[in-house]
Amino acid sequence: MDRLLDSPEGSKVLLLGNEAIARAALEAGVAVATTYPGTPASEIGDALARVAKDAGMYFEYSTNEIVATQFAAGAAVSGVRAMTSMKHVGLNVAADALMTFAYTGTRGGFVLVTADDPSCHSSQNEQDNRYYALLAGLPLLEPSSPQECYEMTKEAFSISERLELPVIIRTTTRVSHVRGPVVVGKIVQRTRKKAFVKEPERFVTVPGVARERHLVLLKQLEEAAKMADDSHFNRVFRIGRGGKSGAISSSAAFNYVMDAGEYAKADLDVLKLGFSHPLPRRRVAEFLRTHDTVAVIEELEPILETAVRAQAQHEVIKTKILGKADGILPRAHEFDQAVVAGALDRAFGIKSDIEKEPLLENLPPRPPVLCAGCPHTATYYAVNKATGGKAIFASDIGCYSLGVGPPHRTADLLLCMGSSVGTAGGLARVNDQPVIAFIGDSTFFHAGIPGLINAVHNGHRFLLMILDNRTTAMTGHQPHPGSATGPSCCDITSVSIEDIVKACGVKWLRVVDPYDVKGTTQAIKDALAIEQVSVIIARRECALIAKKDKEGAIIRKETVDADICTDCGTCTSKFQCPAISKSGEVRSIDEAMCSGCAVCEQVCPSKAIKRVG
Amino acid sequence: MTPDIYLAGVGGQGIITASRIIGDAALIEGLNVLLSETHGMAQRGGSVVCTARIGDVHSPLIPDGKADAVLSFELLETMRALCAASKKTVVISSTDKMVPMSVTTNQLRYPTLEDVTRAAKKVAKAFVSIEATDLAREAGTPLSSNVVMVGALAGTGITGITRRAYEKAIEANVPRSIRENLAAFAKGFAATAKPARK
Repeated sequence: MDRLLDSPEGSKVLLLGNEAIARAALEAGVAVATTYPGTPASEIGDALARVAKDAGMYFEYSTNEIVATQFAAGAAVSGVRAMTSMKHVGLNVAADALMTFAYTGTRGGFVLVTADDPSCHSSQNEQDNRYYALLAGLPLLEPSSPQECYEMTKEAFSISERLELPVIIRTTTRVSHVRGPVVVGKIVQRTRKKAFVKEPERFVTVPGVARERHLVLLKQLEEAAKMADDSHFNRVFRIGRGGKSGAISSSAAFNYVMDAGEYAKADLDVLKLGFSHPLPRRRVAEFLRTHDTVAVIEELEPILETAVRAQAQHEVIKTKILGKADGILPRAHEFDQAVVAGALDRAFGIKSDIEKEPLLENLPPRPPVLCAGCPHTATYYAVNKATGGKAIFASDIGCYSLGVGPPHRTADLLLCMGSSVGTAGGLARVNDQPVIAFIGDSTFFHAGIPGLINAVHNGHRFLLMILDNRTTAMTGHQPHPGSATGPSCCDITSVSIEDIVKACGVKWLRVVDPYDVKGTTQAIKDALAIEQVSVIIARRECALIAKKDKEGAIIRKETVDADICTDCGTCTSKFQCPAISKSGEVRSIDEAMCSGCAVCEQVCPSKAIKRVG
Repeated sequence: MTPDIYLAGVGGQGIITASRIIGDAALIEGLNVLLSETHGMAQRGGSVVCTARIGDVHSPLIPDGKADAVLSFELLETMRALCAASKKTVVISSTDKMVPMSVTTNQLRYPTLEDVTRAAKKVAKAFVSIEATDLAREAGTPLSSNVVMVGALAGTGITGITRRAYEKAIEANVPRSIRENLAAFAKGFAATAKPARK
């Protein structure tokens, strides 16, 4: 039984925000769904990948977010319902398609889910993707809970079809990764096939068409503003007896306002905006007129705040409006009840007993690390052995960015998906040191290939190491174009990384097994002697999904011979495996944690590390 | 009453599954519940926090000092989790240790059970330590130590959820070795149930 698919109409199910979006899409009869995995959006796609076959829909992990968007757009303009989901930075990749898709509009409902990550829990920035709704001119829904994720996704398809526009749903980590009760409805089978009706004067955005379609978009936005004013997702909540103090809030911030207000036993009205772009102007104006002071409480950018102030100015409303411009709230990092409690105090003098406690001092930190048996650890050890650390390392998005810290220090620059390959060329052009770029297999397919073509074409000299662990590991082991198996619905074809590298025109290519330290080290030395772009594919399956024997070993489990160990520290301070720790004057290996990669045995200079038994 | 449970540990210890069991059990009991989960990069052997708030609340996050129970799966993480505790809090800590790299390479000191006991008793109402992995092994599989901890939470009675609801939730969330996991739950339950009845 799969609770996503099999929970009957009317039942209350505990779902992750992301799963609630997936369930709602199924109930809305989505015919096509696509994604490129990225935290905190990944579980939307993972849920649909799992049930696609039984649900009779099409799902794919697309090569990247713009392909995912284009693919879903192709289906939606034909008349079926389509959805694509991605993390916030994924929408940067997809933006080129989305901006003009807003002009053509859609025939079947089209929903784009973007999951933002305030506080960068798993991301390289905390950009506020509500700006994309403003930039593209598209309706925006902001759920606060799993139940709303469900309701808004269903509604988003209807709004999209009424306006013939794509609709954006924007979640955050604290919405996507909250699990809560959702009362589900019925899964409806809708049409999965449509005949595309040609309408080039709408869908082919040559300048003459684009100019006209922009006017259509602006007209539809006026319609959307009326819908926002009538939407039940925009309504007033009352804390205590309400009164003349008000807050306007959305998304996860709304939850903190409610909790903080209730902790403080405050009297406060809260206008919750769920359909927040275009601004429900009438609702906002009414709320302003009926309150003396209104605080706008939103995470990240002051988007609602700016719109609310503009509306007040437009209608000459004298209500005092407080927000980030007045310093009552920060513009960076996610909120919690304590942050909002502070804002309620500064805005209204509402006191509560919520305070931040200082952490106990001197606790050993525990940042995320590369796992025991991780092939990247072995690769990085070989890189430092081959270069003595005397190289510039262009890194990329994936587990391997964890090489930034000691002992490897194999990341000097990181911007975005695929940036290792592009930046490596620029670094190499102006520096005399060797440059090594690291990119994962999934990231290479996603955004690495144009950079490699550029390097070959323009004669840049660096070593590109494709860290091929046969999966998209960081986000939960989703397949990618090089994988042999895909989602439940469909047969897929595995695409060869070697063939792509060669077809890009690379003349020097070697494939190594990172678990072979000597061989990998030598290959790196050889590659760095080449006076053009060289590529090494370091291929070894992620240790978390690699096949293991009945002892739990990929190759063989290792142990430290305490009589031989000289406490030199090579295995912990140069190689660094989380299964190896110091106990007294020697090192020891945690047998349960050891995944049996047998790399430490090659690393130990005194041959103190041996096979178990 | 809205019991707030703060779960702490290390990525890979089965904390999300534990919080999901608590969530499903609450729902079976007819109570509302919200959970927050840690996914993605932070899971790679880093400190992990999940929260479970039972009752009618809006955000799953628990403000500092407001937890009714801290359920920690690892000794050092218990120390870190004490920010959630105050004089109303029961701290339940596994004695399991996972030595972080900062201890191995930087000579930072890993706290002893005595350190943790002293620190917890200072800020919290009560402190209970559980030999979770040993009890899980006795129950049939060391991998069920997370379920032992759920049992220990259930045994305190803090959540207001019946034993039967927890057992049903375990059956719904544990993919295999259900018998062993139910035994693990029983061992954790027994470890805290007696002191709670005093």
